[in-house]
Amino acid sequence: MTEIRHGVFDIRIDKNYCKACGLCVAWCPQDVLAEDEELYPITPGLQNCINCKLCELHCPDFAIEILPPEHPEHSKYKEAN
Amino acid sequence: MTLQTSHILRDYMRPETLPTTWCAGCGLGIIMRSIVEAIHYQGLKKDDVAMVSGIGCTGRMSGYTDFNSIHTTHGRAPAFATGLKLARPDMQVITIMGDGDAMSIGGNHLISAMRRNMDITAIVVNNSIYGLTGGQSSPTTPMDSRTTTARHRTFERPMNLEVLARAGGAPFFARATVNHTASLTKLIERALNISGFALVEIISNCHVLYGKMNEQPVASGMIANMDKETMRSNPLLKKRASYPVRETATGKTYLRDSNSDAAQSSVAADTKDRGVIFENKGSVGFSRRYFSMLENIRAQKEHAGRPDD
Repeated sequence: MTEIRHGVFDIRIDKNYCKACGLCVAWCPQDVLAEDEELYPITPGLQNCINCKLCELHCPDFAIEILPPEHPEHSKYKEAN
Repeated sequence: MTLQTSHILRDYMRPETLPTTWCAGCGLGIIMRSIVEAIHYQGLKKDDVAMVSGIGCTGRMSGYTDFNSIHTTHGRAPAFATGLKLARPDMQVITIMGDGDAMSIGGNHLISAMRRNMDITAIVVNNSIYGLTGGQSSPTTPMDSRTTTARHRTFERPMNLEVLARAGGAPFFARATVNHTASLTKLIERALNISGFALVEIISNCHVLYGKMNEQPVASGMIANMDKETMRSNPLLKKRASYPVRETATGKTYLRDSNSDAAQSSVAADTKDRGVIFENKGSVGFSRRYFSMLENIRAQKEHAGRPDD
């Protein structure tokens, strides 16, 4: 079975595309995402993210993206290189 | 899979047209993502794919995706796709239609395309209502549901596309919902490889017009309800729908015990084909038969000494 890694993933939310429908918040199994006062998703529990990508797959507006640490746009990858 | 999903999408979209004009939470975005992923995983080039769409909320999808696209008249997407497939037999033609588009005004075109077994991947998005024009009853509105033209609940029976596809002679019919995104992508991938008319019915949500009048006003609640609606055709989903949505609190492990009897039996049941309602193996599409017939006629004429008359 694949090892589950917690808290190494970046979540990028593009507010130009997001319509605040709440699907990503409803489907997150680890309470990573929450809604702010305008119902846009925020990431208060980023350390719990396990890269299941349910939010990314269920986003109808392509606004959310999970970046693994191997990804060149991840913050830790940028620091290391 | 190292490649991220949104990076796939950006290559196949027209970025100047985004964000979409669909309502917040509409399942059409999920369907567009699945189609694009299926085309990407099949290794098709953008120039080898044509997307034909009719009128309705689904009609905008050909504008957002960066394939060869035709936005046709209401219900006539299979007719336009037939002509396109005969003119360019090398092209992978996908038609995307809504339920009113495909079954009401375009019913004859859909049946004729099935009868000819045209090499088209037809995707019918079923949201139970005419969404673009304001929520009128459509051929697939379920009984006892309220719409803007049926204020005292619908009393007509909904049309069953599965039976129509069987009678019309389509070799492949699959049904999925927007809740099951991974299986949706796999079904579309499989439909792209069928020689002949592959029909995929996707049950989508219209929480703005249909859900508001039927006690399902939130997108997430309506999509989660689809588990219960599809349980008749899939006993595994029926079992999963009985689980609570969130099993554990934050920070605890979310995996169930994989060695338990229930988990093992559900894994065993999972090897079945899911979503594919029927598939006729060995179907030969229209264009292959048609062009081989033309070859035969040409060969006979050359044999008779009268080439090209």
